[in-house]
Amino acid sequence: MIEIERLTKRYGDTTVVDDVSFGVEEGTITVVVGTSGAGKSTLLRMINRLVEPTSGRVLIDGQDTRSIPEDDLRHRIGYVIQGYGLFPHRTVAQNIATVPRLLGWDRKRIADRIEELLDLYQLDPAEFATKFPHELSGGQQQRVGVARALAARPELLLMDEPFGALDPVIRAKAQDDLLAIQRRLRATIVLVTHDMEEAFHLGDRIAVMDQARLIQYGPPAELLTRPAEAFVERLVGTADRPFRLLSLAKVEDALEPGLAEGEPVAASGTLYEALSRLMWCGRQDLPVADGTGSVIGRVSITGILAYGRSA
Amino acid sequence: MASPHWTLSPDRLGSMVAVLIGIALYAAPFVTYRANRIAAGAARSIFEALPPTTAFVLVGAALSVAIVAIFVRRSIVRLAAASLGLVVIAPCVGLSAGFVTPAGNTFARVSPALGFWLLGLAFSLLVADALTRLRLGPWARLGALSIAAAAMALLLFSGAWDGLSILKEYATRADSFWSEARRHVLLAIGSLAAAVAVGLPLGVLCHRAPRLRAAILQVLNVIQTIPSIALFGILMVPLGYLAAFPLAAALGIHGIGAAPAFVALFLYSLLPVVANTVVGLDHVPATVVDAARGMGLSNRQRLFDVELPLALPVILAGIRIVLVQNLGLATVAALIGGGGFGTFVFQGIGQTAIDLVLLGAIPTVALSFAAAVILDAAIELSNGTSQ
Ligand SMILES: Nc1ncnc2c1ncn2[C@@H]1O[C@H](COP(=O)(O)OP(=O)(O)OP(=O)(O)O)[C@@H](O)[C@H]1O
Ligand SMILES: [Mg+2]
Repeated sequence: MIEIERLTKRYGDTTVVDDVSFGVEEGTITVVVGTSGAGKSTLLRMINRLVEPTSGRVLIDGQDTRSIPEDDLRHRIGYVIQGYGLFPHRTVAQNIATVPRLLGWDRKRIADRIEELLDLYQLDPAEFATKFPHELSGGQQQRVGVARALAARPELLLMDEPFGALDPVIRAKAQDDLLAIQRRLRATIVLVTHDMEEAFHLGDRIAVMDQARLIQYGPPAELLTRPAEAFVERLVGTADRPFRLLSLAKVEDALEPGLAEGEPVAASGTLYEALSRLMWCGRQDLPVADGTGSVIGRVSITGILAYGRSA
Repeated sequence: MASPHWTLSPDRLGSMVAVLIGIALYAAPFVTYRANRIAAGAARSIFEALPPTTAFVLVGAALSVAIVAIFVRRSIVRLAAASLGLVVIAPCVGLSAGFVTPAGNTFARVSPALGFWLLGLAFSLLVADALTRLRLGPWARLGALSIAAAAMALLLFSGAWDGLSILKEYATRADSFWSEARRHVLLAIGSLAAAVAVGLPLGVLCHRAPRLRAAILQVLNVIQTIPSIALFGILMVPLGYLAAFPLAAALGIHGIGAAPAFVALFLYSLLPVVANTVVGLDHVPATVVDAARGMGLSNRQRLFDVELPLALPVILAGIRIVLVQNLGLATVAALIGGGGFGTFVFQGIGQTAIDLVLLGAIPTVALSFAAAVILDAAIELSNGTSQ
């Protein structure tokens, strides 16, 4: 559990982060969104003390970060930035080994960890371990950047626009990979972006910042249904709000009893996908199957629309 | 333009080389003969300076190189031809010394004249151009330098050139030549080492404490603008004062001599070392530094594991400047009794003995050239690993 308490940063007379507080549950992704210059990066960098707060504090599992020596704190927190900052004179393996080596892991343990991470990221260790960063594509560099940050099993992963330099196709893949790995490792992540799409896709909770202040903090659906200010409403966009909502809701949320004809949809899928299936195959309803494949009910167009209106 | 395959279009350098060779063969003396060390010289053409067959071989070889220079574009062929040219003229000039000097005459002096220098220049230009076009890697360039050095050593130690006046100057002062050589290299490299030992930390300090940067660089800039001879003069006063203390005197510190020369070279070396260190560190990508800090590298670890390795090529470029500059400037040290190759240069000027001047100047130029090649290769190698 990460608790951010009344964090404030001032440079001279300008307040860059203004009295921001929120908590991050273990094993969840919190996305900080906001316009450029809102103070997102500064907020993130106060968590690992790359920026010293003017006031306020950060607690990790109840421990004040100021009581931990700076370097030790950073060994426990993974850090990924836009551009990744891979060491150009070090191989992929050496880059990933950075923090484990600082922590004094033995050679065998480091080598095993590098292999494990490269496997996890579908980079063949035999091919990639000895490559230098300039020999990698942007997407591969990004994966190495995240692998490096995860190397020493950090309690928390901080990511500042980690997908900012990727083209849209690779970016979507990288986001899905991150989600899959996060679910698998139960990692706690705080991620900064100014892409609302990305925030909705990745965030268990979203923190919206504007002009140094935290305007709203909550689950994605809450931002859609109860935007705290006109700014949030503008940011999330009102036109496709219902669709966003449907893409956040699960099929089981609009489950109706009864039977239907056709190929069943998965209960764990989103309503957005279900609606799209229904429209495409021209049916009014479809059966819903759970994880084991047995049909547990049905989902209908009217049911989905009703759900969308009720939210 | 029609098919370029069939048009003869000699390139400019090739034509210039051919013209140089032409002038050297037909309009310039090959060696100069003088009755004694400081007498006026008399010109000797190739056919006067060499036995007929040797002269024909030389002219034939030079003409072949000229033809290759004009008509052949392949760098490797040009390189081979020009190297062959050098291999022919170098022993020839040694040979001519024996041929021109009357038997038993030990006062007469024979030295290479305009024709030899032009041929040497023409061939060297062609070699340099071909080497550049071949885009040799750093190791190959170092290899080429070693071959050239070995060839030079062979010529010098085989005695092939012993008849030439410059080597006669050498023969009469072989001992002092090597002690001045040692002095020269010690002055140049020692002051460089001292400048690196002081300048590198100073550069790191400038980089990390921007407030100090302007002040430090300003001072070093001012030093850099003082002419060398004036700086020697300025340094004589405090060092002469220091020399009054027994301890300093025991350490060999005097108002004149090696101490002020060393200090002056050291001061000149500081700016390039400090400035390049600062620039090199400044150019380490900000994301890399940020990532290093974010992962918890301490200041020290960041400096030694990340920043300095990445700044190394730029720092080495500074060291290259300093080394080449010091090897040249160390010549001036002789003016205040600092020793080095400059000793021969200034003695030679005093005696109007051009051979003696050359005995000091040629090794200096050769050393600077070798230093430049070696450090360029080192820079490229360090670049390769930090890309
Ligand atoms: N070291 C500093 N000194 C002075 N002002 C700073 C400093 N660092 C950041 N700022 C200012 O603080 C404000 C917030 O910066 P920050 O980098 O946190 O914004 P951001 O939300 O991450 O923006 P972006 O989306 O463009 O990355 C900006 O106006 C910036 O100019
Ligand atoms: Mg930012």
